[in-house]
Amino acid sequence: MLKKDKKAPGFSVIVIGGGHAGCEAALASARIGFDTALITISRADIARMPCNPAIGGLAKGQLVREVDALGGEMGLCIDEAGIQFRMLNRAKGPAVWSPRAQADKKVYHRRMLKALREEKNLTLIEGEATAVAVRNGKVEGVAIAGGEGIGGKKVILALGTFPNGIMHIGEKQIPGGREGEPPSCLLSDQLAGLGIERRRLKTGTPPRLEKSTLDYSRCQIQPGDDDPVPFSFRTRRLQPDQVPCYITWTNGRTHEIIAANIDRAPLFTGQIKGTGPRYCPSIEDKVVRFRSRERHQLFLEPESRESEEIYVNGLATSLPADVQERILRTIPGLEEARIVRYGYAIEYDFFPPHQIHRSLESRKIEGLYFAGQVNGTSGYEEAAAQGIVAGINACLSIRKEPPIFLDRHQAYIGVLLDDLVTKEIDEPYRMFTSRAEHRLLLRQDNADERLMKYAVRYRLLGKELWEEMICRRRRVERARRRLAAETVPADRCKGILKEILPEKGAQPRLATKLLQIPGVDLEEVESVLKDGPLGLGEREREMLRIRIKYEGYIRRQKKMADKMLRMDKIKIPSDFSFEIEALSAEAREKLQIFKPENLGQASRISGVRASDLSILMIFLERRNKQEQG
Amino acid sequence: MYGDTVVALSTPPGESGIAVVRMSGREAVKILSGMIPDAHTWETHKIHKRKIRGTDGNLIDEVLAVIMRAPDSYTGEDVVEISCHGSMLIITELIEELIARGAVVAGPGEFTKKAYLNGKIDLVQAEAVADLIAAETRLQSLVALEHLGGGLSRKVREVEDKLLEQLSLVEVSIDFSQEDIETWSAAELTEVSREIRKKLRSLIESEVAGKKLRRGIRITLLGPRNAGKSSLYNALLGEERAIVSSIPGTTRDLLRERIHIGGFTFYLEDTAGIAETGCEIENRGISIGREAARIADLVLFVIDGNSGCEAQEERELARMGHREVIVVLNKKDLGLREDESKVSVRLGGVKAVALSAKEGEGLDKLREEIFSRAVMSSAADLSRERIALNARQAASLAEAERTLEKLEREMDKGAEILSLYIREALEACGRVTGRAAAEELLDTIFNRFCIGK
Ligand SMILES: Cc1cc2nc3c(=O)[nH]c(=O)nc-3n(C[C@H](O)[C@H](O)[C@H](O)COP(=O)(O)OP(=O)(O)OC[C@H]3O[C@@H](n4cnc5c(N)ncnc54)[C@H](O)[C@@H]3O)c2cc1C
Ligand SMILES: Nc1nc2c(ncn2[C@@H]2O[C@H](COP(=O)(O)OP(=O)(O)O)[C@@H](O)[C@H]2O)c(=O)[nH]1
Ligand SMILES: [Mg+2]
Repeated sequence: MLKKDKKAPGFSVIVIGGGHAGCEAALASARIGFDTALITISRADIARMPCNPAIGGLAKGQLVREVDALGGEMGLCIDEAGIQFRMLNRAKGPAVWSPRAQADKKVYHRRMLKALREEKNLTLIEGEATAVAVRNGKVEGVAIAGGEGIGGKKVILALGTFPNGIMHIGEKQIPGGREGEPPSCLLSDQLAGLGIERRRLKTGTPPRLEKSTLDYSRCQIQPGDDDPVPFSFRTRRLQPDQVPCYITWTNGRTHEIIAANIDRAPLFTGQIKGTGPRYCPSIEDKVVRFRSRERHQLFLEPESRESEEIYVNGLATSLPADVQERILRTIPGLEEARIVRYGYAIEYDFFPPHQIHRSLESRKIEGLYFAGQVNGTSGYEEAAAQGIVAGINACLSIRKEPPIFLDRHQAYIGVLLDDLVTKEIDEPYRMFTSRAEHRLLLRQDNADERLMKYAVRYRLLGKELWEEMICRRRRVERARRRLAAETVPADRCKGILKEILPEKGAQPRLATKLLQIPGVDLEEVESVLKDGPLGLGEREREMLRIRIKYEGYIRRQKKMADKMLRMDKIKIPSDFSFEIEALSAEAREKLQIFKPENLGQASRISGVRASDLSILMIFLERRNKQEQG
Repeated sequence: MYGDTVVALSTPPGESGIAVVRMSGREAVKILSGMIPDAHTWETHKIHKRKIRGTDGNLIDEVLAVIMRAPDSYTGEDVVEISCHGSMLIITELIEELIARGAVVAGPGEFTKKAYLNGKIDLVQAEAVADLIAAETRLQSLVALEHLGGGLSRKVREVEDKLLEQLSLVEVSIDFSQEDIETWSAAELTEVSREIRKKLRSLIESEVAGKKLRRGIRITLLGPRNAGKSSLYNALLGEERAIVSSIPGTTRDLLRERIHIGGFTFYLEDTAGIAETGCEIENRGISIGREAARIADLVLFVIDGNSGCEAQEERELARMGHREVIVVLNKKDLGLREDESKVSVRLGGVKAVALSAKEGEGLDKLREEIFSRAVMSSAADLSRERIALNARQAASLAEAERTLEKLEREMDKGAEILSLYIREALEACGRVTGRAAAEELLDTIFNRFCIGK
């Protein structure tokens, strides 16, 4: 398969798959300085969004900010490709704000392709990888259909929904990785042959409609924010000419049609066997499971400025084409709609991630990394997050350095990686803010404070941004100290609180305490400070507000995190045997499957109890002592 | 779990009448010093006799305490051992007090585990230590299952379900704010939280520690004036607390003191004698006495055995109905008009004990009778695990209660903060039920709400 010739083209890192995971992986590896190849089936489909034309959203927006702070490309791409920007949850606490943008899919693809092309250590190869070359349990390269193999020290698999992909539209089944693209079967089968377990999952997408056939006057308009916030810490200004979305609803007639044709829905006939995501149900699923709902919300989102296609968010379906047509006739504004592409469901292989380390490297095959959909996740942002980590780790491994370890309290990426290696994946995994126990620490506004140091360390970003961030943080800290040391006299407090706390306002308060009262403006408090205003820029004022608002809670969360970290620091050697009789049967079984790398991970596996952890500690200690001699 | 200061009862109660509560960890000496101010100055391995008081200032017990400083202790850490009376109440109070000051209830085999990790136990014994942990875990779940009858667990689960429901409403408002679905309201959350706190309180008081055992078993002395109730009260206490006199109607208030018999704590109450009098104050005292007897766990009905039982007293006895009663025939030294068995038969099978409060004769028999009744009613509770479990559960539920109180106070703080409190309360409940309810959050959300585009 591989040319024995030493001069055969060889790369340090080979990435298979030019989706959201693969692009970030390849860019990270090339930017760190390793010669990198990105093999993908079709160049025209690089960084394609097969579903929702949007990046970000709740928890996902935070992921994009984190990828950006690590020096990733996703944030920059969407800042350029965005056609409507919104900060979600703006009415709630800043800890749960999340940026989201409608993307122009075409622009996004071009912008990512440009980044790949401009990267000097990166070679783009068009073709289908059919096998990974493995010798003595170690990866050596990749075979490409109809061509010669290429050598590589590390291989990153980012195959998306392509492994043995089958698309369903009603009774029709079409092999494919996504609409209009062939599946990738050989590689998946080869991996299975190497003893890597695979299972099936399913996801789906709604029909696309032709814009000129829609009647927006019957829908509700949804504009973007007036002051759009960019995703990337590197984007200085965002000046999009924003495009609105529209909202409409299904109704009883819609639901009747679906109910009458449910026996033709592949989801219910047993034709689809993979499990779909419960947070992204198809419309037929929603109608069956929530019969009492009178209507379901639909968002009409443009796919690109350059095309007429409108995405119907909320109407994912794999019902037969004729039923899809009839459904539309019942929906206000869509009565005359022409379907450009039908909705479909897709089933595909994934490789359950208990088979990888937290670094995303395979336990079985050294040098082989898995990133994105292949790990059972779903979503562009989740994929990008894994991609950049896999890229960095492949490089670190070549340098014989330990992998990057982002903890749960450091990043949503940390939560994601940790969940992958401790939880059973029985539906496509998507990030939610509620998955993060340290949510107040993991905000979109402080991703740079949390992660940029790694980007600087691995040279994925220059120092300037990081230094700026440090200075900003210092200024904010100085201002906070000033506020914490200054007591605002009673009459001033009374003035500031006259509407908020009319009875109890007139008493002296610490400026920070004053600011913790909901409804008190930083500006107002600033105006009564002894030495005048704080002199901070807008971003810094925002940081200050957040720090003061969450002060006590953040401290508590940090304490909790420290406690958890103590457990995470107790490492479990990779050859440690969990064949310990005293362990409960359930714990023993789960530990043998997940093979946790530390005690903290062990504690997060369901079925492992406190007493099991005690027993593990005893045996870990014995081993340590024995090794010391 | 690692580096915590842990506490547990290390001897079974009830056997010797003395119990040893052991605490190990970095904070052990500090925690003890919070209760015994000079403790940090103690020399290692020296025994001290001190009174220990709760945070509320009430005396818990007079104890013998010793500090064994690291590394010369069983676990290799600072160890504190406190010997106290082996009563359920005292042990539970003491352990709860230590928990309130920062100790955590030791897990199964935890002292041995610490000893092992600190090199106090030979390396080759890892299997044995692990087996011990496993065995104690099994024992603990057995006890939890049998004695707590799953009943407590079930009730706490109901609390968890309610909290989980509120949490899902709160979380949905954060993670799925773009969907048009119902959401939480401060009014509802406050109401649910209040309800749950009420429930937790009653669980803590009734189920967890057993109300009776928690406040001690209550014994009320009742009977005609001058029968010798106050004399018996003093005799059982071993000191002169009640005024004894031949003037009828001397005792008017209710007196209450704690006594220990065989490892159990009892509250003994002296009351005014029953009589038909015109004195308003005395009548008031009499009705207080009757009320006390009505809610007591055990009534000692004292009569003058020398002069015997009169019709009025028999009526009084009949009034008590099925309550636990022991008839005390006092003044045995003066001779009895009827013996115990005759009285017993005449009064319909009530247990009668003859004694002399003055001379002390027969007192032990009365103590034995009191003790055996206590054991009969709570023999099942006499296990070490039960106490450990009690302390942990009471502490956990109380923590949930406190957390919810904070939640209610900070209702204006926004979903992301409220969620923290609800999760904390769930975690505390989870220590009782062994359930990680927060992990069921997403399932709950997806089952209940139609989510997703
Ligand atoms: C129909 C559909 C509906 C979806 N719905 C949702 C949704 O509702 N919500 C959601 O969050 N996500 C959804 N997704 C998933 C989302 O698209 C993915 O999570 C995300 O794109 C995954 O990124 P990735 O990099 O892992 O893979 P992809 O973006 O799928 O990229 C995989 C890339 O690998 C290439 N490739 C595959 N095999 C080979 C090979 N053997 N050789 C060379 N190249 C190869 C492909 O050409 C492709 O470019 C949906 C996807 C599809 C197809
Ligand atoms: N001889 C004798 N006298 C007793 C005994 N117990 C109480 N007395 C006397 O009975 C009188 C009333 O006692 P007291 O305890 O005040 O009775 P009370 O009214 O029931 O509380 C006092 O004079 C006591 O000394 C006893 O066991 N033997
Ligand atoms: Mg008296």
